[in-house]
Amino acid sequence: MSELNVAVIIKLEPDFSEGSVSYNPDGTLNRAETKNTLGPHSTIAAHAAFYAKVMYNARISIGTMGPPIAESALQMAQRLSDAEELHLYSDRIFAGADTLATAEVLKTGIEKMQGKMDIVFSGHRASDGETGQTGPQTAWKLGFTFLGNVIDYKIDIQNRTITAKRLVRLQGFSDVVEEIEAPLPVFISIDPSYKPLFNTISQRLAFGKFQKEAKIRAENYKQYLKVFNVQQLGVDPKYVGLPGSPTIVYKVERIPRGKATRQAEVLDGSNPEHIRKAVSKMKEALAAMVIK
Amino acid sequence: MEKYDVAIIGGGSAGLAALKQLSNLRKQAILVEAGNKIGSKNVSGGILYSKKSKKGHVHNVEDVYGDVFLREAPLERKITKYILHSTSKDKVYSIDLTAAHDYESNFGYSVLMNKLNAWFADQAAESAQKFGGGIISGVHVSEIKFDEQRNTSIVKTDELEEFEVKAIIAADGVNSEIAQISDARKKFLPSQLYQGVKVVVKIPEDVINERFSLKSREGVAHLFAGDVSLNHIGGGFVYTNLDTLSVGAVYHFDSLLENPVEPYTLVDAMLKNPMICEFIKDDVPSRRKIDKNLPQEEQLRIRFAITKLIKSWNELRESYFSKGKRDERVKSGKYQSVEEIKEKLDSIREQLTQKYGVIFVTDYVEAEYSAKLIPDGKRCRMSKPYHRNILFVGDAAGRGIFVGPRIEGINVGIDDAVRAANSISRAIDKNNFSSDYLGEYYSSSVEESPYTKDMKQIDKDYLKIFLDASKDVPKDIISARYSTVLKLMSSDTIRSVAIKFANILGYERLLPMVESEDTYVKVPIEIAERLGKTVSKTYEPTIPSIAERIAKLKFNDDSNPHIKVLKPQSEFMKKLVTLCPTKCYSLENDNVILQHEGCIECGTCSQETDWKHTRGEKGIVYQYG
Repeated sequence: MSELNVAVIIKLEPDFSEGSVSYNPDGTLNRAETKNTLGPHSTIAAHAAFYAKVMYNARISIGTMGPPIAESALQMAQRLSDAEELHLYSDRIFAGADTLATAEVLKTGIEKMQGKMDIVFSGHRASDGETGQTGPQTAWKLGFTFLGNVIDYKIDIQNRTITAKRLVRLQGFSDVVEEIEAPLPVFISIDPSYKPLFNTISQRLAFGKFQKEAKIRAENYKQYLKVFNVQQLGVDPKYVGLPGSPTIVYKVERIPRGKATRQAEVLDGSNPEHIRKAVSKMKEALAAMVIK
Repeated sequence: MEKYDVAIIGGGSAGLAALKQLSNLRKQAILVEAGNKIGSKNVSGGILYSKKSKKGHVHNVEDVYGDVFLREAPLERKITKYILHSTSKDKVYSIDLTAAHDYESNFGYSVLMNKLNAWFADQAAESAQKFGGGIISGVHVSEIKFDEQRNTSIVKTDELEEFEVKAIIAADGVNSEIAQISDARKKFLPSQLYQGVKVVVKIPEDVINERFSLKSREGVAHLFAGDVSLNHIGGGFVYTNLDTLSVGAVYHFDSLLENPVEPYTLVDAMLKNPMICEFIKDDVPSRRKIDKNLPQEEQLRIRFAITKLIKSWNELRESYFSKGKRDERVKSGKYQSVEEIKEKLDSIREQLTQKYGVIFVTDYVEAEYSAKLIPDGKRCRMSKPYHRNILFVGDAAGRGIFVGPRIEGINVGIDDAVRAANSISRAIDKNNFSSDYLGEYYSSSVEESPYTKDMKQIDKDYLKIFLDASKDVPKDIISARYSTVLKLMSSDTIRSVAIKFANILGYERLLPMVESEDTYVKVPIEIAERLGKTVSKTYEPTIPSIAERIAKLKFNDDSNPHIKVLKPQSEFMKKLVTLCPTKCYSLENDNVILQHEGCIECGTCSQETDWKHTRGEKGIVYQYG
């Protein structure tokens, strides 16, 4: 049995890359035509969990709430984290959930995962919702210590504590890295700049070994997958889906474009005359700079 | 400090074979590769041979990887035809050299290194894991310290904590940094190198089969000499891959320095040749400019919609024109029948033309531009390919075979790698890593390799096949220049004596006579003009500019340049402004300056620069290679 249990909550999101995304004539996202993928922040959360796998041989579980197609996101996340357990919370009743109702489902799901969780990872935010609330609310519901913007962490398995580095952005100051220690369990919302570091040959070898295991597992992801509807999950329908959502998005407006204060001039890169103009402008700007 | 038995530096086909062979011998080895994944920095022409030589035993790829190699490795096509073309404008004269290609050969497959090395890596890593080893990518070795007392090496990298090993296999390619760090050899000189530039052209599988009259999975190699060389010593090639063509130009670096020309113009000369034009043509969607008067959101929406449709059309078309892939689509249940795929394909095409004004034209599609230096083993192989406990293999040891139309490298590297692995395994068993027991043993093993013999001497049987194949060429074209040689070669007995004499003279004295502008340029042009068939092209290919080619490549940018210019005013560096395949150099106030962002790490400039491979994971990431 593993000495460390780690859960990751993830989300299936629209793939905004060119060639995958479609827009309606009114400029809104054409959801039906747009391909879906594992959200970019979920990807980082899966990487953070995989770090625990490589360094501490953790047991990884992944959970997501979404339509049946969201199992593709679980598969992608498994490929990245070598998870042994995949949870999909899927029921029509969950539809229309805001962050709080989503957190209720995720919290209940995490409690149903095998073993008592020591760390739960979430991404920083979703690329389609951008609220960044689901993570903290799930942490609150679980009663776990919440650590946001984590860029690095180490675990003391024996003493059941975590030392984490948080990137704190303060207005008017350059970024500050705060190092904190907390007893497990914790909930970590991983910073977008997180990059796992493996510094020794043996860590890299373990990385390769688990990566390969993850690939094989993800090819057979269905055998790790459990799907829960509202009854199977055992949540109170009052707290999930539309009824459990105190916030309702009733209108989305386009942000009006601010009036430009700069004098912009469009230059055509294929026109040599324009290039010359750009160069002379740059020279002008550089000449005006005082370089100490 | 962590300790391992063996470190292999460089994850090309030679390094990977070394890892696999050491695992076959149940020895622990780790392979360190700078690229972010195996294969991402490897480029080859390329054909991978397996040989059976009269001159001795060759360690072939299938001996290292086992039967699974021929069953499962992502090989492109088995080359069953090998043809040399002499060109002059629209005239082409062809000589069938298939017999020369088949000489002492079990097989020759066209390959793309990115895919193939990834497969080799999977095999090697799986075996290595059993003995506590494996592959570590994204790590660049920066220093090796020899511990005299312990007789071991400490390997330092840019990314990891240092570690200790008993022996090292340097498989870090033609621009081997390990050779420089360890002082094992000097950098190769331009006179010892070839520069190769290649583009990969996309064409559906079935179209290749039909166009080149090939059975499924069979392939052809076309070699070119004559005016496509723009008066340089060397030539061009077109190899059929499964659903791409490799079109390349390989020229003697000395000859390029003498008459500098942008390397891509040599590939362009190939692409513009009427015969090759017809080889590479395809049905290509061409976008119209989007109406700039439309609202910006609408312009963006249209652009995205077209991109998506073209992407779908390309993917589906690739499947439709490949038996394996179209059957797969039907089997997966996504399509009921092949006809349905065709219908869908037509409907996307119609949507593109009707709705978005996309037109379909005859042109060609370039997928990747690449370049590399190739060592000419005749001129630069290391006489003793080791230094202390470091054994050099493949390109790093300067071991490539260039004999007329015979061009081999991958198989040579694999043979070296097996010899190196065997030598190290023997040293581990006796715990003796001294130069006498390890280095000298390896050196003599390499000396016994048939490939080494091919780098030293003319093989009279091979020459006979070559001469027989070209017997239809009127003697007077050649005799004006090589009358004595021709006389000597005309009868079997005299030829045998003449070759013996030639071999006594040695390649060094022979090569300037044989590898000349006459052989590679003038004679082929004359042959083409007098005997050639006229080939006309049906369209003019739209050849991308070098900027477009670089833009298409994938880089993991590093703000620190991995190259430092040492002599900004030297003649050599000034020629680099022309000879760098990706135009990284420019001249400003009589000083050559470097912009490393588009560097594809070929090493063309390494002679007079402080040249290193990029740090781990940085730099070029080839998709084909």
